[in-house]
Amino acid sequence: MATTEKENLREREVTSRVWGIGVRHIVYMALGAALYGIFSYFTNILQLPSAGNVSFRPAIVIPLFFGAVFGPWVGLFSGGVGNLLGDYISGYGVYWNWDVGNALIGFIAGLVVYFTWGVYRHSRSIVLAEVFAALGVIIGIGFASYTEIWLSKLTFVTATTGYLLPAALSDLINGLILLPILLLAYRAAVARFGR
Amino acid sequence: MLITLPYIKRDTPIHRLDPRAKLLLLLAYGLAAAQTSNVWLILAGFVGAACYYALARLKWSETRRAWLFIIFLNVILVFGNYFLSGGAIVQGIDLSHQHQLFSLPFLGFLNHPPYIGPKPLVFSVESITYMLTMGLRNFSIAFLAVAIPYTTNPGQIGVAFKQLGLPDQFAYAIDLSFRFLPTLARDFSVTLDAQRARGFELDKLRGGIFGRIARLAPLVVPIVIGSVVGAEDIVNAMELRCFGVGRRTWLTELQTRPVDRLLMALAIAVFVLVTALNILGNFYASGPLHLLHEQGLPAFLLR
Repeated sequence: MATTEKENLREREVTSRVWGIGVRHIVYMALGAALYGIFSYFTNILQLPSAGNVSFRPAIVIPLFFGAVFGPWVGLFSGGVGNLLGDYISGYGVYWNWDVGNALIGFIAGLVVYFTWGVYRHSRSIVLAEVFAALGVIIGIGFASYTEIWLSKLTFVTATTGYLLPAALSDLINGLILLPILLLAYRAAVARFGR
Repeated sequence: MLITLPYIKRDTPIHRLDPRAKLLLLLAYGLAAAQTSNVWLILAGFVGAACYYALARLKWSETRRAWLFIIFLNVILVFGNYFLSGGAIVQGIDLSHQHQLFSLPFLGFLNHPPYIGPKPLVFSVESITYMLTMGLRNFSIAFLAVAIPYTTNPGQIGVAFKQLGLPDQFAYAIDLSFRFLPTLARDFSVTLDAQRARGFELDKLRGGIFGRIARLAPLVVPIVIGSVVGAEDIVNAMELRCFGVGRRTWLTELQTRPVDRLLMALAIAVFVLVTALNILGNFYASGPLHLLHEQGLPAFLLR
């Protein structure tokens, strides 16, 4: 009986830590979105040779990092609203399928919190964060690219070669290189400030 | 380096529209336009969207950067799609036989190894019309999309999402993210200047692709980590003021006018009508109910 109660309590704690939204989450959602928007704005000019609206974005690390540290909701918001903000301040308008795709990237990257609790002291947890980040990029960019088949009437080949491959490859390279650097820097900062 | 939001304060019918009506119109039109490749329907949508954009009275000098980008992308998108598909791009349309004009020797994807080889690039009345339709569709969506940041006060975006039914936390976070922008832009600028003083050149990063990305770290890390650590003070301040304990009220409240309600109703009605016609069109081989599944080419072009 005691074991079951403990298990129930632990389950509730996990649910609350991963899925709960407190003041801290709200502030980091807003900060993640603003950072993604700012970095996207400054790198939107670096376009990739592809069929569509695909830019070279080191900024992709922002939703991956915020998801990996603060959970899936923060990742989802940072990706979705951050992309919207980046396009908004660049004056390009609002493109909902790319916003949803970027939200998916942050959300899936954030699911790693189930395994790491947002703490990255060992290389195992960083590798896990990288795996979830890669999954997030592939699924998120895949969603955005393939909805273009329906929305812009592209062919499957164009959506794959023109959107998915350049965008996913660029995001994977940028994200997977910068994510561990940010996670290690964050760990050092947390240790220094005791927060 | 400062961020200037694209919003231009002006008194036009589009500026006065409720942000919810603008967002709903964009979404409904985008989803409706995706369901047809009938050139006349898309042309009608294009004319309507162009009139809407004209009502916003945005000058070329104000939106030049965005439009150059959009024109460049759309040209690449339409032509890139044509070449990558070897001219076989017409989708969702009943085509028993195409009216071929001419063909050029070209490369294309094959069903057998080596999977890429010589394949004629077909130019038909249908495929050229389809390219035109694609361009018109993309530009009509861009007319509605570009107008939003230039005509909508950023301070109303969070409220608009709240009144669209988004939970308080998310709506407030949207509002807060707009407030973060100027501070973060300043931090970006200060950090970039500080790193430049140490010899860091954003425009002249050396090395291969991996090395270049890794060398962005001196710019990315201080801004992100500094902001995250600094945000703890905001968290503390909000917690001290008991944020999130009770129901949240908003200082601004958007009031829809009859014209906003009319536009929202019209957008939803058009979307529902187009979706219904799209579904019904699958059961009828011809006639008005099959309209969305036809390209609508004039007869003289097909002789």
